[in-house]
Amino acid sequence: MKLLLRISSILVLVLSSCSTNNVVKDYNKMPLDKTSMEVPYFSNPATDYVYKANITVYGNELTGIFIAKKINETTHRVVFTTEFGNKLMDFEISENDFKVNFILEELDRKMLINTLVTDFRLLLRSHYTISEQFENAENKVYSALDKNKMNYLFFSKPTNQLSKIVYASKRKEIINLFYSSENNIFAERIIIQHQNIKLKIELNYFNQ
Amino acid sequence: MRIKYILLLIFLNVSLFKSLAQDQKMSENEIAVFKQSVAVVSKKIKTLSTDFVQYKHLDFLSKDIETSGKMVFKEPNLLLWQYKKPYSYSIVFKNGKILINDEGKKSAVDIGNSKLFGKINKLIVGSVSGDLFDDKEFSISYFKNKDQNVTKFIPKDATLKKYIKQIELTFDKADATVVQVKLLESSADYTRIVLKNKVINTKVDEASFTN
Repeated sequence: MKLLLRISSILVLVLSSCSTNNVVKDYNKMPLDKTSMEVPYFSNPATDYVYKANITVYGNELTGIFIAKKINETTHRVVFTTEFGNKLMDFEISENDFKVNFILEELDRKMLINTLVTDFRLLLRSHYTISEQFENAENKVYSALDKNKMNYLFFSKPTNQLSKIVYASKRKEIINLFYSSENNIFAERIIIQHQNIKLKIELNYFNQ
Repeated sequence: MRIKYILLLIFLNVSLFKSLAQDQKMSENEIAVFKQSVAVVSKKIKTLSTDFVQYKHLDFLSKDIETSGKMVFKEPNLLLWQYKKPYSYSIVFKNGKILINDEGKKSAVDIGNSKLFGKINKLIVGSVSGDLFDDKEFSISYFKNKDQNVTKFIPKDATLKKYIKQIELTFDKADATVVQVKLLESSADYTRIVLKNKVINTKVDEASFTN
């Protein structure tokens, strides 16, 4: 009986450590200092967000121009073109819906489209309802529910700037989004790094 | 009130006439003369270098995306297309290879006998030199206005058609060279490339085409 108890307690310990991911491991849980949050990087409907994009996918490199614009309250238009200007894909994305306006036949794969839509949705999302708050010496972290996943928003402590968003399941990190922003209004540089597949998207804002 | 209507009508009429005046269809005879003059000029081209400004127009954006750089061509098929602003990115077509230099990061694509890239290469060179009058590849229509001739090419090739719906080349009437290339993707979205400071047949080093 004692042995059984020991085994089951070990099992519980193992299982519970599996079920919480490591995103905010070693962080202290804090009381909420806000219940919602706005990320402004793609939220101004008057701004054309134009970035040079480098995509590395399983060792292959693809470059081009990434364009995003908020076209109404809920929806962003997202276009990816080559440097020469021809369109590779053209999406309309909202939190719960998306529409493919155009995609090059060679790229028209369901898995690719779903992956990119998840990435872009994460990138373009502006409103978060905060459920928990954590802290350590360097960062303040806010967590928000994202359907059946979680988003963790990392703010560097000295500057209070959003530096990273982690998109994670209960068990592990799926996507890391890194931001560099000088003015907190838009991000000059963004990296979308996948943890489970070899996909990395780098975006560098360019002033025309 | 009535005067307003009359004024409006006059204005509409004037603008209608104006737009008609802008692009008139060429006659058969004019087409023949025009094609001949372009052929003479493009035949003479051994090397060509030009600056360009590219305007990417997407209808939902508030302004066009502007990039600019330099293009160099040397007979028979060496081609450099180089963006300098706002980023540095260049692409060289050379010996069946595409060499890419993206902000110092280099890569090469072996296109071998890829028909599509052969076509794209021919298309770029043809667009800039004006030598694109291949009836097998395109349905072509010819227009003119006061200072310019405009030709519209609709690709016949199904693969090419996926990338480009229509190409419009604008020629300066005075010297029969291309001043603008417009690549249409749909009625609303296009890429417009304006060529300027064009120099023909100056010495161009092979070294220009290392990337």
